[in-house]
Amino acid sequence: MTVELQHPMKADATPQETARGRFVSGMRSLILNDLAGDMGEAYEKRAAPKFRKANGRDPETSREAHEALRGDPAFNIYSAMRVQAQKMVWASVADSVERESERLAAEAAKVADVAGGAALNPELDVPKNVHAIDVHLMPGSYTRGADSLEAGAVYDRGLAVFSMGLMGANLDDIGLSMAQYIKLRFPDFAPERILDTGCTIGHNTLPWKQAYPAAEVIAIDAAPGPLAYGSARAKMQGQDVLFQQMCADDLAYEDESFDVVWSSMFLHELSKKQRAKCFEEAYRVLKPGGLVVHMELPPNDQMSAFDGFYLDWDSYYNNEPYYKGYRDEIPANLTARAGFASDDYFDFVVPSISIYGEDAVREAAAGDRAEAVGQETTGRLAEGVMWYGFGAFKK
Amino acid sequence: MSDEAKAASPLRPEDAPPNLYDEHGNARFFADPAMDRFVAVVMNLAQEVWVQEERLLALEEAKSGQSVDKEAKVAEFIGRVFEPVRKA
Repeated sequence: MTVELQHPMKADATPQETARGRFVSGMRSLILNDLAGDMGEAYEKRAAPKFRKANGRDPETSREAHEALRGDPAFNIYSAMRVQAQKMVWASVADSVERESERLAAEAAKVADVAGGAALNPELDVPKNVHAIDVHLMPGSYTRGADSLEAGAVYDRGLAVFSMGLMGANLDDIGLSMAQYIKLRFPDFAPERILDTGCTIGHNTLPWKQAYPAAEVIAIDAAPGPLAYGSARAKMQGQDVLFQQMCADDLAYEDESFDVVWSSMFLHELSKKQRAKCFEEAYRVLKPGGLVVHMELPPNDQMSAFDGFYLDWDSYYNNEPYYKGYRDEIPANLTARAGFASDDYFDFVVPSISIYGEDAVREAAAGDRAEAVGQETTGRLAEGVMWYGFGAFKK
Repeated sequence: MSDEAKAASPLRPEDAPPNLYDEHGNARFFADPAMDRFVAVVMNLAQEVWVQEERLLALEEAKSGQSVDKEAKVAEFIGRVFEPVRKA
């Protein structure tokens, strides 16, 4: 199903556009649930045995599982259809965004004086990984339309189709689930200043403001358009969040000035070098007792070869060039190299709060994170999705 | 980005074999590249048929006064059209 956006910048779609979006969501559901299951069966019945015959052992890594599946009919049809469905996601919303550009600007103008806002930096050298490829096959990437509302609107409306209803009514399920988990697991932790890095349109920033209403919340991204859109979107939803154009690996903030540094689905969009610098910067700007916490895809070392390949697919075929490189890293090493103590590191799996409810998140916060990390629903945008996260407190 | 620009400066995973992509930088899956395009054509065509189907459903809703569960209908439609690719 396609989610209906919860703010005045939602599309005034024609019946044809609504039908196109519904079809694409339905196709993605078929592909990510049914065809993915078929591919898993093909791996067990054909690809892995063929690899075993040739190598005298099972595939041991994501790369070997990929190698085993290349050319298999189930892999071919899953992949070709998934690539096309991804292109159709963005195509299904492009017309309405173009047609409604003036209305979007007018809606944003209505909330121009509301608290919050976007501070753009035209001098910022936007990194290549943000503008030089069509990230996840989104035409024009995050810099489409420069600092207009276009990229944000395409992303927001596209995500409503892409998510198949699995990212919450306000596309904020990741933020809601994670913020609630942290609040429940660390009830005495009361952050006063929270930073979201790589926020795009701030859909997973707002839940932190909701979880900690007294906190000052700042959200940054390198791309200007999504920030302008995200700021208007936040204001329309009554959330006082400041959006600033900035790179997470070069923060213009003072040392020890935040209590939380957070991101969602962001680290895999960075090169290894950028990623390491992000953690150094997070460590620098966190106060003692502050928390770095990231929602991300689970790492390859905690998954089977097939499940690892399944997530790494995006790296090769969805214009996510750093996806696999990120998943090959060990999260505990990322925090440790930046200065966080190893015994302050933790990782966890949170059930989607929209799907499983708050009690399930409470149970997860009270329980052992390890039980769910290896489950095939962890990190997969499919029925039963659960979110992986990790973090560390700064001493 | 244009196809030429993508092909000229691709950002790819370090271990991606070059034969995963065609000369324009697009992913390829089938031995015959025409099949990759054909899959896209079939999906586009199915989408256009669904658009017409949904418009007909809207007319029927208006006529009968009974609402239709379009999410269930589209799932049925997709299941029927793409049944041949299941269990590939």
